[in-house]
Amino acid sequence: MENTRILNRIVQINISNVKYADIELSGNTCFVGTNNFGKTSLQRAILFFYSANSRGLGIAQSQKSFEEHYFRYENSYLIYEIATPEKNFFVMVYRHNKLVFRFVDSPYNPDIFLNSNDEAMKIKEIVSNIEKQGIFVSNQIDTFERYRNIIFGTETDKQLSKFYLLKGNEKYQNIPKSITNVFLSSKSSIDSRFIKDFIANSLTNENSSIKLEQVERQLRQFNEKYTDIETYVKKETTQLIELIDKKYDQVHMLKGAQMEMADKLGSSLRYAETQNESIREAAKKKEEELEVLTKAHEEQLYTINEKQNEIREEIGFYDRTIREANKKLKEYKDKNIDEAVEKNAEREKLQVELNIARREYESLTSNVANIELKYSSLIEQLRNDKAAYVNKINARTSEIFNHYNELQLLQKNEFNKRDAELKQKRDESLSEVTQEVTAKQIEFNELKSEEKVIRTTRFYEQEIKNLENELAELRAVSYKNKSERAIKQNMVQTIQREWENLETKLKTALTNQINQTNNEIIKLKNEIKEVESKLNVQHDAFYGYLEKNVKNWQNTIGKVVNEKILFRTDISPELKEATANTLYGISLNLDNVEVISKSIEEYQFEKNERLAHIRDLEEGLTKFQTANNEEKMLAADKFGKQLGEFKEDLKVLTYSLELADKREQKLQIELEDWKMKAGGEVEESLTSNRQRLNLIEEELAVLTKKKNNLLNDFNNQFDKVKIFSDERLADLKERQETEISELEVEKKNQVKDYEAKEDELSKEKESNFKSKGVDAKQLKEVEGRMKELQASLKDIEQYAQIVSDYLKDKREKFDKLPDLIQKKEEFVKSNNDLGAQLDENTGKFNLKRMELNKQKRTFDEELIEFNNGVNFFSNNFRETPVYNKYADIIERAEPKRTNYNIMDLCTQLLKNDSHFNEEYGAFQRYVNEFAGKFKIDNHFNFIIRNDATQGEYERFAQNLRSFINENKIELSIAETATQIGLVTDSIATKVKELSGQKEKIQHIITLIGEDFKKAEFEESKLIEFIKIKIEESDNKVYRLLKRIEEFREEHGLVYNEGLFNTDFATGQKREISGRAVKLLEQLRTAIKEQEQDEIRLQDLFELKFNIKEGMNETGWTHKIDSIGSTGTDILVKAIIYITLLHVFIKESSHRSSSEFKVHCIIDEVGQISAHYLRELLKFAKNRNIMMINGLPNKSGLESHYRYTYQFRREDTGNVRIFPSIVTEVEA
Amino acid sequence: MNEIDYNLPKQTHDIFAIMARGHFISSNGTKDNMSRLYDIINNPENFDRLQAFFNVIRYNIERGNNYFYFSRLNEANSLIEQKLETFERYIDVIDLFASMDNKITIGSRFRPSEIAEECNANVRLKQKLQKIPMYRSETLLNKVRDICNLMTRDSFLELEDEQTESYKVLDAYTYLLDMINAISIYEETTGMDTNSSGIILN
Repeated sequence: MENTRILNRIVQINISNVKYADIELSGNTCFVGTNNFGKTSLQRAILFFYSANSRGLGIAQSQKSFEEHYFRYENSYLIYEIATPEKNFFVMVYRHNKLVFRFVDSPYNPDIFLNSNDEAMKIKEIVSNIEKQGIFVSNQIDTFERYRNIIFGTETDKQLSKFYLLKGNEKYQNIPKSITNVFLSSKSSIDSRFIKDFIANSLTNENSSIKLEQVERQLRQFNEKYTDIETYVKKETTQLIELIDKKYDQVHMLKGAQMEMADKLGSSLRYAETQNESIREAAKKKEEELEVLTKAHEEQLYTINEKQNEIREEIGFYDRTIREANKKLKEYKDKNIDEAVEKNAEREKLQVELNIARREYESLTSNVANIELKYSSLIEQLRNDKAAYVNKINARTSEIFNHYNELQLLQKNEFNKRDAELKQKRDESLSEVTQEVTAKQIEFNELKSEEKVIRTTRFYEQEIKNLENELAELRAVSYKNKSERAIKQNMVQTIQREWENLETKLKTALTNQINQTNNEIIKLKNEIKEVESKLNVQHDAFYGYLEKNVKNWQNTIGKVVNEKILFRTDISPELKEATANTLYGISLNLDNVEVISKSIEEYQFEKNERLAHIRDLEEGLTKFQTANNEEKMLAADKFGKQLGEFKEDLKVLTYSLELADKREQKLQIELEDWKMKAGGEVEESLTSNRQRLNLIEEELAVLTKKKNNLLNDFNNQFDKVKIFSDERLADLKERQETEISELEVEKKNQVKDYEAKEDELSKEKESNFKSKGVDAKQLKEVEGRMKELQASLKDIEQYAQIVSDYLKDKREKFDKLPDLIQKKEEFVKSNNDLGAQLDENTGKFNLKRMELNKQKRTFDEELIEFNNGVNFFSNNFRETPVYNKYADIIERAEPKRTNYNIMDLCTQLLKNDSHFNEEYGAFQRYVNEFAGKFKIDNHFNFIIRNDATQGEYERFAQNLRSFINENKIELSIAETATQIGLVTDSIATKVKELSGQKEKIQHIITLIGEDFKKAEFEESKLIEFIKIKIEESDNKVYRLLKRIEEFREEHGLVYNEGLFNTDFATGQKREISGRAVKLLEQLRTAIKEQEQDEIRLQDLFELKFNIKEGMNETGWTHKIDSIGSTGTDILVKAIIYITLLHVFIKESSHRSSSEFKVHCIIDEVGQISAHYLRELLKFAKNRNIMMINGLPNKSGLESHYRYTYQFRREDTGNVRIFPSIVTEVEA
Repeated sequence: MNEIDYNLPKQTHDIFAIMARGHFISSNGTKDNMSRLYDIINNPENFDRLQAFFNVIRYNIERGNNYFYFSRLNEANSLIEQKLETFERYIDVIDLFASMDNKITIGSRFRPSEIAEECNANVRLKQKLQKIPMYRSETLLNKVRDICNLMTRDSFLELEDEQTESYKVLDAYTYLLDMINAISIYEETTGMDTNSSGIILN
């Protein structure tokens, strides 16, 4: 029975192709067999005892798993027997779905497993057999972990705690790892990397490495986001955003305008189509109305003209009559008609007086009748002669008078004829001119009334009214929009303020939390430092001394010494047996005294606890930051969306106000235009009217002049004719008078002769009377009176005819003259009234006609415009792409009258479309350029395809706008900043975790170094010394990782305030962030360049060896494979392994547990010399390590082992393992 | 004097390696850290230093709209002629690109197959494409690919995604457009041959 615990035996039952093998392992063991006979498999099975990890056995992935390869049958068993000073026990491994273990408190006995036919039984039977024998058999141990806990003495279950190989401490996992590593590394070349791997692998598990792929992914994600943001915040990009925004507005506006215009075009077209017929009808109706009006007016004109003609005739008649009467009256007046009438009134009286005188004369002459008779006859005779002569002369005079009178009459007639001719001619000419003048005058009057009409007419009234209405509506809407905009602006400001307040609050909370956490961390770090300082000095301090030299010191000195003294290094403790267990010679009962001192593990625990606390704090901070960010994001989402909506509304309102403004201006201009046009139209009409008026005035003037000339001309002619006639008449009169006067003179002379003769006869008579006595005087007086009366009567008789005529005329004409004048005036008035009526009617007619003409013209113009528009649309618009673009709108528009004509709308649409295309091209260019600045997979999703539709481009711009409005860049920056914090933190944590183990490595290296020193090579003198030292790693990635960790330590956790921050106040933070970004970028590049998958513990340091073999000293080198011959190399390698194993076992096992041995499995040692082998086995033995080696064949080396087993393949394919009979020449 | 004396950015070598080959550094390029290089040159301090440094070796950094390139100081006329000849074929390429329905502008992303399809469907474009002299381009698609390769080689385009064969138009494309815009076509009025015309590059 051994005094130590050791894996005593391994038994394979139906394992792989070994049916049964029982191999003792309590000393150095050697397996001899050619390749592929199962040597390595057996070694692996031994290794499994220590490692209990089916995956860490160096089985290639292409090969069957450990379970599959070893446990092929349900009765496959691996049995490990452990020797102990008390009683051997064994553990069996079998497959029950997975590998499970059972501990049996008994030495191995084949009968337990094999039946009488030497066949392995099933587990149930085996267990029941064992139980039947009253042997303790544990329950199934399901996990490798638990199995290891039991084997390495950390199991708490009392039933199982005795089944241990050695008592390991908390680091016991290093033991199986070390054994495994020695086994797995034994074929590798020997260099420091390998040793590093060994140490590192022994100290770490699979997870304690930094997976660079993961780091690289995090860095890439961060870098991509960072680059995206960097690109976004560039000046050029910002400018592009502004351009896109502006262009989008323009394009949007243009599109809206185009659509509006297309709608108007559609409305106009529909309207034109629907209104065409009705307008045609209306125009026709107006024409008819005009005809009716003209006809009515002409009829009225005719009637009035007829009446006027009649009245004019009447006037002419009365005028003539009056004129003739006046003329006659004048003639009568010229002939002293009044005097003649007066004299004629005395005629009767004179006739009576004459008759009286005659009767008186007859009475006086009755006595001298004879004489009287004689003389009377003589006188009468004479008188008769005289009368005959006078009559003759008178006849002659009368003849002359009549002749000349006749000539005069002829002349007068001639004159009158000529005068009448001239008058007729004049009247004809005048009537022509007058007619012309009248026509012109009418025209003039018409124009005058037309002017009045023009002045009162409001041209384009409907258009102006429409525009004014539209303007009023527009202004009302603008007013409403303006107030709405003001309200929304206020809302935006309020929300912004709210948002800012919340952000400030969040920021303050975060800053406070950071400060608080940092303070706590600093405090904890200080505490850690304190603990670390204790741990660092404990080896050299009083504490270390007590640990090494005083058993259970915690229960004695530990209770009375304070901590400070325990960790002092300057008190040089020394053990004096005499005073042991006393305090300066005084014995104390310390049973009830509390232990003050703490174990190293407790210090370690304290440190770890604080570290964990720091991690908790940092995690808490990260969580807080994440929550803070989330809250920020929520706020951004909430406020941003609201703001975005409001801003969008504001933009829309501003845009519509701008549009309304423009529209108002446009409408105002249009209104002004229409007014101007109306004014122009009035002016134009007036001007043309005035021109025509002027023309007519001129024509009238010309006509008047012509009339005057004509009159003058005729007057001259009249004068000439009159002068001629007057001259001729005067001449005739003169000749008449001359001839008559000559006859009168002759008559006078002759009458004188007759009167002289009469006087002689009278005197003879008187003398005879006197002689006869008759009163001659009285008789003469009577006679004289008779003559006077006769003369008076004769005078009266001369005017009798004219008076009679006068009286007749007076009675018939002159007395009626006032009536005639009055009647004429009445007619003149009637005529004037009719003229006025005619003028008025004509004016009215003209107005009405003009109105109708205007209306008809409007309809005609409208119709022409419609037709032209429709034609233009069909010929020049319908086939264009612009029509196709807006076909829907155009075709679906409601028929409506618009202020624009179709042609203008078509032209404008075409023109605008080309402008729109230009603007859209620029918009697309900007979008492309902007999106092109980002990677195709940018996290903002700023991506646009080259064949994107207009809608997609517009959506892009809208999204960009929302992005800006919702301030998503800030969110992205915050996220990225958090990400940089998290990435840095994650790197720092990993680096810290990993580099935390560096101390362990340092410790192990020190121990190894010490172990090398202790090694005794004196016997062989082959190896003088092996030295080992640790150096800083030259791994670039690790260095950068380390720098990041240091950076993180220096600057804390949060960077988000600094990232992309241009604020001067926090400029320093930006600089720090900049450095962090740069570091991360360098790390990314380094990872890419280095092409390493992970950073493991071994990458954290460099190992260097210095080995002296014989006379050869390698100097400090990484490589140790060229020390000497291959055998030497293997020896050195094996020595190093054993040293490592020793150190690890020592480190990982409980101090109190030293009675155990473990195996060092090194497969191929065939090239080592016997001398060296012996040396090696001895070296191992001194360190309680048994060697298990493989040899390809028997070469004498096997004689140095306690057990040698040979491997042979049988015909069945099974391998048989059997002990070889050799003589042990063990050292 | 060496690089340190000039206090040059450490990417100077990369910058030189690209631009000395006659290539451009565009701000929207992503390959070979191009946008970073652009930012480095665009930094006024760096620019002055780099300019001074490269002038010593008779290179001049020329600044375009979001791109940089080298020009040689006192370049021989024969070299300029040679460059113009090289440029000549780009006239047809730009003409083709500008005639596409989806115009290819700075930042546009496209696939050669899209261009080839459009050319196939449009006779005018097809003729334009066929007019461009490219050797060994049997199909339209191959021809477009060759053009894209050529333009990528000359750093006017960037193959953004090899799998989808997606190209991005770089800022240096402006150089080509500027060159085209600088061409004036004039009518010979005084010479013997009144129909002759030519191009002037100003």
